[in-house]
Amino acid sequence: MVSKTVKVTNEQGMHMRPASVMSQTVTPFTSSVKVIFNGNTYDAKSVMMLMSACIKCGAEIEIQCDGPDENDALKAAVDLVESGLGD
Amino acid sequence: MRISEFLSTTGVKLGVTLTDQNQAIDELIALHQSVGNLNDPAAFKAAILAREAKGSTAIGMGIAVPHGKSSAVKKAGLVAITCPAGVDYHSMDGMPTNLLFMIAAPEGAADTHLEVLSKLMTMLMDQSFCQKLVKASTPGEFLSIIDQKEAEKDAENEAKNNTSQRKSFKFLGVTACPTGIAHTYMAAEGLEKAAAESGISIKVETDGSGGVKNALTSAEIAEADCIILACDRNVEMARFDGKKVLNASTANAIHNPQELIQKALNGNIPVYHHTGGNTMKEDTNTSVGHTIYKHLMSGVSHMLPFVIGGGILVALAFLVDTICGYGATGGGNFGNCTPLASFLKNVGGTIMGLMVPVLAGYIAYSIADRPGLAVGFAGGLLAANGNALVTNFSVWGGSVDDSGAWSGLSQSLGGFSKFVANFGFANPNSGNTVSGFLGGIAAGFLAGYVVLLLQKLCSGMPKSMDGVKPMLIYPVVGIFIVGVIMCFILNPLIGLVNTGLSAMLTALSTAGMLALMGLILGAMMAIDMGGPINKAAYVFGTGALAQAAAMVAKGTPNSNPAVQACYIAMASIMVGGMVPPLGIALACKFFPKKFTEAERSTVVTNVVMACSFITEGAIPFAAADPLHVIPCTLVGAGVAGFLSALFKCTLMAPHGGIFVFATVGNPLMYIVSWLIGSAVTCFMLGMIKKDVDKM
Repeated sequence: MVSKTVKVTNEQGMHMRPASVMSQTVTPFTSSVKVIFNGNTYDAKSVMMLMSACIKCGAEIEIQCDGPDENDALKAAVDLVESGLGD
Repeated sequence: MRISEFLSTTGVKLGVTLTDQNQAIDELIALHQSVGNLNDPAAFKAAILAREAKGSTAIGMGIAVPHGKSSAVKKAGLVAITCPAGVDYHSMDGMPTNLLFMIAAPEGAADTHLEVLSKLMTMLMDQSFCQKLVKASTPGEFLSIIDQKEAEKDAENEAKNNTSQRKSFKFLGVTACPTGIAHTYMAAEGLEKAAAESGISIKVETDGSGGVKNALTSAEIAEADCIILACDRNVEMARFDGKKVLNASTANAIHNPQELIQKALNGNIPVYHHTGGNTMKEDTNTSVGHTIYKHLMSGVSHMLPFVIGGGILVALAFLVDTICGYGATGGGNFGNCTPLASFLKNVGGTIMGLMVPVLAGYIAYSIADRPGLAVGFAGGLLAANGNALVTNFSVWGGSVDDSGAWSGLSQSLGGFSKFVANFGFANPNSGNTVSGFLGGIAAGFLAGYVVLLLQKLCSGMPKSMDGVKPMLIYPVVGIFIVGVIMCFILNPLIGLVNTGLSAMLTALSTAGMLALMGLILGAMMAIDMGGPINKAAYVFGTGALAQAAAMVAKGTPNSNPAVQACYIAMASIMVGGMVPPLGIALACKFFPKKFTEAERSTVVTNVVMACSFITEGAIPFAAADPLHVIPCTLVGAGVAGFLSALFKCTLMAPHGGIFVFATVGNPLMYIVSWLIGSAVTCFMLGMIKKDVDKM
């Protein structure tokens, strides 16, 4: 299992489009991809879960991947958040 | 914030029939307009369409949440439409959409829109809730379903927040690193600081080289919410059975302690179930290489004090004899010439004899916990002493000749007895069966896994037998198995290696290839440092000295080439044995990154040992990282042995290091050979060995 903490920098936070971009980015990986925020764990492959987390701009989230391609999945997810989630 | 603040009955339209996405958007915008949320419906529609163009807002499961943030919005609002027949809203899952919410957010409305979205999603994840909404017959019913669900969710959240605030978390930590000097305590400090920042009480036990400090009591463990292990080696695990255990490394605790505390707070930590071994589950680095390194380091860190303590005492013995004037004349008894020296050498030598058993014992301990310790010691002892420990059988006893035939037996040996007698007992034919530290490493791993296997085999036994296992089954069966494997497989193989090497050296010497012989002798001293290869070289050297003495006694002059060859061999051997500790000490100085703090602190000790021809000083380094260290010591010592033989340096004493340099022929070039060899070892270590933090 690998994980990394990243800061959400896009102005509007994890709203619907970033959430769907995130889910589309990580769904192809076999590994599970979770977002840990505020003490709760959300499945990053589910758009609804991601949106329900109410992650705002400036929030620090932990991305946790577990599975055979965990490193690639983590890198993809972290890169995405760091690049502003496509906003 | 409540949904009802944004959604009113006028904003809800049920049972609408929609033909396409565009019509759906128009209907929703019309609702916003009727509630009075908009300044400019056309501009708002443009914003909505622009948003849809970037990707559909139909998130699947029959739900669409179009939204727009625009200056055309007067006040933030939410409207909803149900469309039981469904409409194609270009959903991500390709299914028709029957529940539509539209969020309108004014420009610069902070995070309102995100909060509404988040709250809506939390509720919409419940499918039965969505179905209820689609089936609602009046806008009033639609809203009350939402209200009810929202109240439920809010209560849930509140309960969650309360418990996390009210409950004071109690964490425990254990930190340990292989050497137990710095990282153990830095990790503990990191955890304590991070916990204090989060307002959590934590107690951290440090398992350092100074012993266990701040030990956790069983009462504390019982009360703890989570136990954080920041360990690079194994610690006593049985006590944590049934508790939430978070495994991490000291590096995690030093660099990211806050992250560990947060992980522990999340509570999503698996419960540890003790399975007998000391092996940790879910190690941050479970690669085979890392596991082996961990076990090795457990052995090496326990062995280090024995090497240093014993080695320095032996060096002192040489010093005492030198001061008393036996440096040049002591010969084979050098270090034993005076009572004080003899005392020091015996104490030191005995302690160093524990080195290999301790190494093997603690490797096994690391693998199999306490039951492994005794079995590992047993294996190490058999590796350190060879089959010499298996002395003769007294009643039937006889003696065995060079061809391996027994004579003087009171019983004829047949079948199994003959096999045991011929194979297990150290007879002249089987050579020297001491396997040294490499054999000790093998014995340690063997013992550890034998005990693990026994634990597995015994796991089916009734609980009432639990007390018998560690007190009877593991030690007796474990030591028996390890004893059989060591005495009948490993040690005889080592004997064969020894015999073969001796034959090769004799052949080289009789062929007069002195420089090559010097190269090989020097290199052999620095491969296993006390094992069969080293022993073969050293025994060859002392044998050569005896041969020289015999020739001289028969009247051959000391200057005869045959006699000189014997002395040259001994010189190459000693210089080869003096290279590894010095080369490593130099490397510790010049390439500090390659070594742990504990290793670096042995510089002075290693210089003293190098000067005293105590090659064992290099063993902790070689044992910790054999694949990278041995090639360096091997080449350096080989170069030194080669140069020494090339310069025709001679030595008539079998031991003593710089204390017997007075007896060395061509001493200046001898020292040059030693220094060049050590420099080679040092630079090779700098090139080959990995940085400590990359291991």
